[in-house]
Amino acid sequence: MGALTRERDVREAYSAHSGELFGFAVRSLGDAGLAEEAVQETFLRAWKAGDRFDPQIGSLRTWLFAILRNVVIDLGRARAARPRVAEGGVEPAVEPLEQALLAWQVEEAMRRIGEDHRRVLLETHFRARPYAEVAAELGVPEGTIKSRVYYGLRALRVALEEMGYED
Amino acid sequence: MRTEDHRDWRLSLGAYALGDLPADERAAVSAHLEGCAECRAELRSLEGVAALMALADPDRIEAPAASPPADLGARIEAQIAAEASRERREKRRRRLRLGAGGAVAAALVAAVLAIAILPGGGSGGGGESSPAQQVHFTSVPNGVSISATLEPHAFGTEIQMYVSGIRSGTLCRVFLRDARGRTFPAGSFRYRWGGDSEAVLSSALDLSQAAEIGVHAGAQTFTAPIGQATALVGGAGTGSA
Ligand SMILES: [Zn+2]
Repeated sequence: MGALTRERDVREAYSAHSGELFGFAVRSLGDAGLAEEAVQETFLRAWKAGDRFDPQIGSLRTWLFAILRNVVIDLGRARAARPRVAEGGVEPAVEPLEQALLAWQVEEAMRRIGEDHRRVLLETHFRARPYAEVAAELGVPEGTIKSRVYYGLRALRVALEEMGYED
Repeated sequence: MRTEDHRDWRLSLGAYALGDLPADERAAVSAHLEGCAECRAELRSLEGVAALMALADPDRIEAPAASPPADLGARIEAQIAAEASRERREKRRRRLRLGAGGAVAAALVAAVLAIAILPGGGSGGGGESSPAQQVHFTSVPNGVSISATLEPHAFGTEIQMYVSGIRSGTLCRVFLRDARGRTFPAGSFRYRWGGDSEAVLSSALDLSQAAEIGVHAGAQTFTAPIGQATALVGGAGTGSA
C-alpha cells in the first residue's frame, strides 16, 4: 500500500499536490507553459518509479518535490542549451534551485498565515516601515503590531513545518 | 520577575529575531535574555524562520497564487494510461516469447505481432486480421476502469483483465457470452488495491464465438460487447446494479 503504481493513486496525488508543485514550477521556471510541462513530467516520472516510493521513509509531497526539482534542472539545462537571444545582452540572474525552493516555501507559508499577521510582517519587515506608522494606518496600538509580528513569526514557523521544514 | 513582564518580553522576541527593534529596546531585550532561559529557547525557535524571510519576495507573496490549467490533470492521466497500455503490451510480448515453443509458439508470435501494430499502439494501421482483441468497458462509474485483452487459444480464450478503482477485496467473476446469450464462466479473482490489478483467466468459449464479456464485481455487473470486425474495440458497455 502507499506506492504510486496505480493510475488512481496518481489521480489522488495530483489533486492533493498539483497546486503547490505548479506554484513552485512557475516560481523557478518563470513561465507557466514550462511549468505545465514540468508538472506533467513530474507525475509521469512519479508513476513510472511508483513502486520505489515508500511512505515509511518520507512523505509523498517531499518525494514529488524531489522529482520536480530534477525535472526543473533538466528543463533549465534544455533551455540553457538553446542559442542566446541577444548578443551582449545581460543574462538574467539565476537563483540557485535550492534557494528558489526555500524562497517559494517561505512565500507560500506567508500566504497561508492569517491576513493580520501577513500584513504586519509585510509592512514592518519586508517594507521596513516603522511600527508607529503601521499602527496608525491600521488604527491599533503599537504594542499590537509588535505582538502580531511575534505571533505571525510563530504561525509562519508552523506553516513551514507543515511543508517539512525543520531546523 | 513577574509573569506579566515576562510575557511582554516574549512579545518582543519576534521583532528582536527579525532585527527590527530600535537600538535601545534591543539592548533591553538582550539584557533580559541574559537572565531568562525560557526566552532564550523561544528566541532560538524563531531565529531560523526569521533568517529564511530574507529569501522571500514581498511582491510574490501578494501576487495571486498561480494554479495549473483545469485540464492538466486529465492530460496527465491520458498520458499515463497510454503509457500503461503500451507497457502491458510489452510485458505480454516478453512473456509470450519466453513461453514460446513449436507451432503454438508461431501462432502466438503472430498474435503478438498483430497486437503490436494495433491502432492506439502508436504505429497505427493493420489489425483487421488480428485475432487478439482489446475491450474497454465504457459504462462504469466514475473512477472505475475495466478493460480486457482477449486472445484465442486451442482451449478457448485467454482473458487478461485490468481493473482499477473498485473496493479492495471485491470478488470479480468474469464470463463470456456467445451470440445466443449462453454464458461461459471464465473464472474469478479478488481485486486488491496496491497489488497487481491484472488477472489472467481463461474460458472454454472460442473467441470467434464470443459476443460479450462481463464481470460480476460484488453486487454489480458490467458488460461490454466484443466486436468481430476490428481488433481494437471501444465497447459500449452496459452496467447494471
Ligand atoms: Zn523571559
